[in-house]
Amino acid sequence: MSLSRNFNILLPTPDTRRLLIKWIVALLAPVVVFVLWGGESIINAVISPATAGGGVPTDPGSLIEAAIFTAVFYVVVLLLVGYLVAADSGRRGMIELWIEVIVFTLVPLVLVILFYNLILGLALSVVVWLVYFFVRNIVRKVRHYTPPPPLESLKAINAEQRSVLMNRAILGGFWFGLALALISLVVDLIYFFSGSLPLILLIWAIIRTILLPVAGYFLGRLAGTIALRRTLPQVGNGNGGNGANGSRNGSRRRERLELLSTMRAREEVKNLVPNDLPLRSAGAQRFFLILLIAFVIFYPVLDPFLFSSGTDGRLAGFGDAGYYVILALGLNIVVGFAGLLDLGYVAFFAIGSYSWAMVGSTQFGFLTGITVNPQVWPWFFWPMLLGAALIAAFFGVLLGAPTLRLRGDYLAIVTLGFGEIVPVVFTELDKYTNGVNGIVGIYSPIIPGVDWTSATPYYYLILVLIVLTIFANIRLRDSRLGRAWIAIREDEVAAASSGVNLVNTKLFAFASGAFFAGVAGAFHAAKLGSISPDSFTFGDSVIYLAMVVIGGIGSIPGVVVGAIAVYAINQFILANLDSLASDPSNVLYTVHNSIANVIPGFTFGNIRNLLFGVILVVIMIFRPQGLIPSARRRRELQHGNDEEVEVGSLDVPPGAPGFEAEVHVE
Amino acid sequence: MTLFLQELIVGLTTGAIYSLIALGYTMVYGIIELINFAHGDIFMIGTFVAITILGLLGITSTSHPAGFALVAILVVTCLGSMLICAALGVVIERVAYRPLRNAPRLAPLISAIGVSLILENVGSLWKGVSYVSFPQIFPQNTYYLINNASGQVSINSVNILVLVIALVLMVSLQWMVSSTRTGRAMRAVAQDREAAALMGVNVDRIIAITFFIGAALAGAAGFIYGLQYGSSIFYIGFQLGLIAFTAAVLGGIGNIAGAMLGGILIGVIGSLSSLIPNSILPHGGDAWQNAIIFAILILILVFRPSGLLGEQVPEKV
Repeated sequence: MSLSRNFNILLPTPDTRRLLIKWIVALLAPVVVFVLWGGESIINAVISPATAGGGVPTDPGSLIEAAIFTAVFYVVVLLLVGYLVAADSGRRGMIELWIEVIVFTLVPLVLVILFYNLILGLALSVVVWLVYFFVRNIVRKVRHYTPPPPLESLKAINAEQRSVLMNRAILGGFWFGLALALISLVVDLIYFFSGSLPLILLIWAIIRTILLPVAGYFLGRLAGTIALRRTLPQVGNGNGGNGANGSRNGSRRRERLELLSTMRAREEVKNLVPNDLPLRSAGAQRFFLILLIAFVIFYPVLDPFLFSSGTDGRLAGFGDAGYYVILALGLNIVVGFAGLLDLGYVAFFAIGSYSWAMVGSTQFGFLTGITVNPQVWPWFFWPMLLGAALIAAFFGVLLGAPTLRLRGDYLAIVTLGFGEIVPVVFTELDKYTNGVNGIVGIYSPIIPGVDWTSATPYYYLILVLIVLTIFANIRLRDSRLGRAWIAIREDEVAAASSGVNLVNTKLFAFASGAFFAGVAGAFHAAKLGSISPDSFTFGDSVIYLAMVVIGGIGSIPGVVVGAIAVYAINQFILANLDSLASDPSNVLYTVHNSIANVIPGFTFGNIRNLLFGVILVVIMIFRPQGLIPSARRRRELQHGNDEEVEVGSLDVPPGAPGFEAEVHVE
Repeated sequence: MTLFLQELIVGLTTGAIYSLIALGYTMVYGIIELINFAHGDIFMIGTFVAITILGLLGITSTSHPAGFALVAILVVTCLGSMLICAALGVVIERVAYRPLRNAPRLAPLISAIGVSLILENVGSLWKGVSYVSFPQIFPQNTYYLINNASGQVSINSVNILVLVIALVLMVSLQWMVSSTRTGRAMRAVAQDREAAALMGVNVDRIIAITFFIGAALAGAAGFIYGLQYGSSIFYIGFQLGLIAFTAAVLGGIGNIAGAMLGGILIGVIGSLSSLIPNSILPHGGDAWQNAIIFAILILILVFRPSGLLGEQVPEKV
């Protein structure tokens, strides 16, 4: 078996060869671009710190972390190739796939490199994607596009075909590793002969050339195993001798049916795309997710390798974006899950902020007369993180209690009113809150050995908080309470008559929404060090709502993406257009000048809100359901479209003539 | 007591302006269930249009036209402001809301917020970021209703004009909605859009007309706001829009008489709240005005969950 497999590595079948070329080329291009942009400098700095260029850190800690990221990157990409080659049933044309991969991966990479700005590069690639979708739709319409049928050889899956799939995965990993190694080797040799590569790096290059294909072989094998775990074994094959044992056969049939129904149920829940779109399958998404998580975790050490300057400012910005994510997730509980429109969410954020600000600053001594030791007192940030959340949740209940009878937009106006009252109270009760001047000198948290004057600890702190919030949100959504929220969102009367306690359920929705706003508020106060009541306005509540709706109401990944997108558009892109336009080497410089020729005194800062408003309207018109709609909503839409098809395919029992055991390699 | 009466009169005029804006909110809400956040900013654009028209007519802060000229200027400015705002309202509906007619409920809301940001930015580009003065063309005569030892209660000629314009507009709107064919169509669409369409009502046109009328009222409100307060700024629409929306909800959203009542009530509450002394609330009632308005709103809604004049609709099952 293993012999024939080795033989096949050199001489794959025509079908497999097509798949191999397709995926290897598709993934090589972006990987090579990334390696040449940032990856190469990471490896160089790790192996020979002396050769590292300006701005790149050389302390061992950062280098080890960066090296771990590089290793994760290579492993995931190799796995991905193996997986994709195995999972592909050949329904996607080569050219089409290449164009798509180039548009989705190369375009952002190249734009980020071009502008030397992560967020702006990503934002412009979104624009490119929109144009691409538009053009693709037109082209498809003109060409009467129909996706080609899947490969004949992949209809049913028996032991032989399993080994074929496994073989493909191994081939994919191996050839990808080999191609990547050879390309890198050629580039390194060119550098070596032009004299700019030290000998130690050449030795590494040769080791890498051997290492990558070997790693590719084994990782491809692992990826094949992962792909095969998702397949449905062929039904009733090779069991002819068991016919006499009727009862056992029956139970097996039942097992099969149960398996099938659980798989279908799972498919429904995750809304799996069948294997003709391998890039969008759940398995491939898992690999992308691993890559994304690794990138996010290692970002603070990678940033200097990618951009060489301005790391701290960028990290501080991401820290701020982080608490918006928590706010959006919290608001999503109230608006998305329970369907209660909240226009005054900023009130709970303000309460959370003031909770830590009044405890964790000199204001505390002023209020209570207790003199605290500023070396020790900031430890209280950690319990107060929970404390602030609980205080906010208490106010959530306080607001919820009298408003339970209200419906729809009457509730919205009451929450709006609450959002207006809270800042007024904080402004006018200046005996306790220092009024319009706000509270300054709020303590940062303390952990021994961590320097809280830089942005990195806040980056990791907010990351941990976001993970906890997402975890809590998922658990809440899937809990009995979460299902009750969704029930009252869909139909209050039906929910009540099915035994949902409306009062408690709604109060819990307000309380848990406010809870997360409290967490975000305490973080915000500690990070900024000073707060004032005029930074909590109705406009902020509206922005949080925009985050939730733009992301996809009720959808947790959608809301995270929406919060980051809205924050990035507002704070990273629109706020930075002017400073970018003042740099003559930047593309925006010419844009700005040509507009300023027509309109004297034009700056991007003047039309910032205009641009933001236009973006909001355009997003809503083109994607009214949000960027990533919740699975439930998507399923509703789909069921509306192809109900009959679904029912029909479910009606055929396994083993009946019309039934085909599908390959559930995704 | 005289102080109370004086504040009552101030509250009535402010309330009249709130009412005019609130009518736009309530009409749009009644017909397509959308909180039109851009409405307050249409009002702001209305004040700017009025200022521009007055400028085009050659009026400065020192000119004091009288007699027929004054009336002509007032009418032209008011109508011009109403027409331009109405056109703006229709365009906004066509571009930002109509494509979202069948979208999830919150999508048009976000679109409205986007439009509001756009209008605000346009306002700041148009007239700058500081206060713009509104020429005080109407003679400021003060009439004393009470003037004796116990105090003074006065009413300004501008206040009277504001109340008259607001009253005329509200009465004609009430007449239009209740007695004309278009008004009937509007009520039909508000009640059941599909059924109205089946009866031959052109729903899209009726919705456009609703936006037209609502925005025209906002334009008129912009004009009389300028007469009353003598200045405007680009973000004024946001704050006033918020209060006006509150007024619409207080009266029972979707209900035209309710919006009028709510607006006047909120104006009166707002100006009466300035009578609260420092000993009760720190810094006096003026600073707490918004908090008091919203607190009373919450209280009223707790006892009448559908607003003052809103129908207590039994739930559809």
